[in-house]
Amino acid sequence: MVFSSLTFLFAFLPLTLAVYVLTPLRWRNFVLLMVSLVFYGWGEPVYITIMFVSILIDYTHGLLVEKYRADDRKARWFVGQSVVFNLLLLGFFKYGTFFAENLYLLTGIQLPQSVSIGGVTMPLLGIPLPIGISFFTFQTMSYTIDVYRRDAPVQRNIVNFGAFVTMFPQLIAGPIVKYKTVAAELNHRIHTAEGFALGARRFCAGLAKKVLLANAVGALWEECLAAQSAGTLTVVGGWTGLFAFGFQIYFDFSGYSDMAIGLGQMFGFRFPENFDYPYLASSVTEFWRRWHMSLTSWFREYLYIPLGGNRGGTVRTLRNILIVWFCTGFWHGASWNFVLWGLYFALWLILEKYVFRGLLERTPGWVKHVYTILVVFVGWGIFAMEDLGVCGAYLARCFGAARLWSMADGFRLRSYALTFAALILASTTIGRDGWAKLSERAQRILTPVLMALTLVLCTAYLVDGSYNPFLYFRF
Amino acid sequence: MTKTYGRLLTAMFCLFLGGLLAWHVLLPDREKSDVENRSLQQRPEFSWAALTDGSYTADVEAYFADQFPLRDGWTGLKARVEQLLGKREFHGVYLCGDTLISKVETPDETLVEKNLSYVRRLAEKTEIPVTLGFIPSAAEIWKDKLPAGAESWDQSAFLEQAAGVGVPMVDLKTTMEAHAGEKIFYRTDHHWTSLGAFYGANAVLDALGRESLNQADFAPEAVSDAFCGTLYSTSGIHWLPPDTMEFWAEEAGLSVTSWRSGSPEPSALYDRTYLAEKDKYSAFLGGNQPLCVIRNENLPGGGRVLLVRDSYADSLAPLLAQRFEEVHLLDLRYYRASVAQYAAEHGVDEIVVLYSVPNFITDKNVVFLSQ
Repeated sequence: MVFSSLTFLFAFLPLTLAVYVLTPLRWRNFVLLMVSLVFYGWGEPVYITIMFVSILIDYTHGLLVEKYRADDRKARWFVGQSVVFNLLLLGFFKYGTFFAENLYLLTGIQLPQSVSIGGVTMPLLGIPLPIGISFFTFQTMSYTIDVYRRDAPVQRNIVNFGAFVTMFPQLIAGPIVKYKTVAAELNHRIHTAEGFALGARRFCAGLAKKVLLANAVGALWEECLAAQSAGTLTVVGGWTGLFAFGFQIYFDFSGYSDMAIGLGQMFGFRFPENFDYPYLASSVTEFWRRWHMSLTSWFREYLYIPLGGNRGGTVRTLRNILIVWFCTGFWHGASWNFVLWGLYFALWLILEKYVFRGLLERTPGWVKHVYTILVVFVGWGIFAMEDLGVCGAYLARCFGAARLWSMADGFRLRSYALTFAALILASTTIGRDGWAKLSERAQRILTPVLMALTLVLCTAYLVDGSYNPFLYFRF
Repeated sequence: MTKTYGRLLTAMFCLFLGGLLAWHVLLPDREKSDVENRSLQQRPEFSWAALTDGSYTADVEAYFADQFPLRDGWTGLKARVEQLLGKREFHGVYLCGDTLISKVETPDETLVEKNLSYVRRLAEKTEIPVTLGFIPSAAEIWKDKLPAGAESWDQSAFLEQAAGVGVPMVDLKTTMEAHAGEKIFYRTDHHWTSLGAFYGANAVLDALGRESLNQADFAPEAVSDAFCGTLYSTSGIHWLPPDTMEFWAEEAGLSVTSWRSGSPEPSALYDRTYLAEKDKYSAFLGGNQPLCVIRNENLPGGGRVLLVRDSYADSLAPLLAQRFEEVHLLDLRYYRASVAQYAAEHGVDEIVVLYSVPNFITDKNVVFLSQ
């Protein structure tokens, strides 16, 4: 199930809230676990089993790590087991088909489509990806590691642990919540009307970003992509498309994060922030400090630093950056374009770290901003087009291998002028700062008005069945 | 934030979600939507099989959306907001002042070629003369009205391609363009008006070498001024004034036989019950049917024409019947026997394949022409 759907907003959420509030405190994690399983199983009921297996294995491994704490080798062994299990889960469901295809291309060896064990046929390749698998495997991995590192206490209550693994607000599109972040709140958290109201406000903001901004401009990206395949894409059209997609993914993704954070607040959890106005960044390095922060911090904490970070000299640091960005790219989808996208950013980050450093310091702010935006949005082209042939042709058109513009571009730009204005405005802190300048009284009056307006408009767009994609099915 | 204020926001949020849920549950389900002109998803039956293959949850989603309280109000609101944002395209329909024009999407090129080849094959198969007529849609005839730069597939290029089939053509494009300044298409529906159909009928009669109709011989009867057509439905734009619908041909002297259920039944030139419904265009001949024959009692020996056609012919056939003893209307979406054989068995003198361009380039049933 996705947040931006009528069934979630007008059936799942109100019913869940009602049951949750009516349940005594000590049963609330159980309720959370149950509704989360329904939420997860809604699209692919069979995959609830993955949840059960995942909960059982990571729960047991947490206990084992704790039990053998005195014997570091054994404790490490169990941490390793848990990590390997999660990576295998990810490898099988998400990367299996990709590996098999590339194995075939490289060696000509063809893996079987399915295996029969005791008369039961199990598919091996071409399995639909369990939604959110990249998010929850990373979260459960963080659990055993956190327990091992003594960053978080072991969770002895399997219901509480199950609630952590399956927690529907952040299950399918992040933020990636490390276990230690919510460890205390899992056992004991405070529910207040104020907390709920803040959560509801945040949720409305996220819903508006997703339904009113991201979906609107996403349809424009689809048009530009169609123009590419029809061979009519112009230079202006190409850039229109890149900007449309870049805005779509930002408002879609950060909208989801806002909704997740807001829902978390309604249930008494505090999730980490995930985006910090990334399009205001004035270097690629800064962009990645502001974009999908829960993922970058996960990789920093559980991969980059364990690899030695930047403490082993230039060569080691370069190696570590390349590994981390290969993984970051690959995490976004089992396809070469995502790997390329990760390495593309590794390149810019290395350049900024070792080559541009002095130059960037002397460059005026607006030039750095333009440079960052160009690098990032060209990057979105690589991200958005899985077929590298299409991607190359598209980007070539952006850089001049096409007519400059056409009447159709004029029509599109006129149709989306106000939308773009809203997107640009919402990418800056102008709205936030302006809000802060309002008197408390004005804020108190405006908050419910804006919330109501958002809910009404989003309902209208959802009932209308407008373009409403789920972008993270590859994650 | 104070406690009271927090409670207020909480209450508002929960009331909106819970209130609409309660309303949804209490609201009786509707069978079909008149505004959208389609049947709506009903409450799905639960079964474990449907649950595991995912169809149950998908049906619940569709049911929830289709039966949502005030559905038409929400879609109308959305269209209004889009208009305020400067959008001119609404679900593939362009808003051009007070007129809605359907965008023609680029079709599957191989289907277009195949469909044209089926026409050629029909002409080769039968001894009876075959004529081909394509009605360009408003997106072509009224392209001046489209917003600047609005894209629509090039119908003139298709008409040139069609001329290469080698079957005599009815030049509907020239005819329609000559009258482009008149109300030849509805503003809220994709069909031509009775005036448009009148010009169309004359173009067909010209191509067949028959005497043209004289506008002065008709006394158009305005039968409805509340026609909100298909484009009204798909676009969600509900604020334009409705269209006026006219009947031109008089019913006297024309008898209609309809094969709706496989056997011939007496029918009527106009089914006025539709005028009280949303789908008013179906008042012409009573809407979609596999086969229909209009007989002109006053013109014995006037010849028989077979139209292989889409719904544009519903409003054209009554006019064409003024010059033939019999007009046979055959719709390949519902009629699956051989066209050539039908024509031979019924002593048809002329076969006219008459489609609107958007229907012809997307219809997968044209293949039955070549049987």
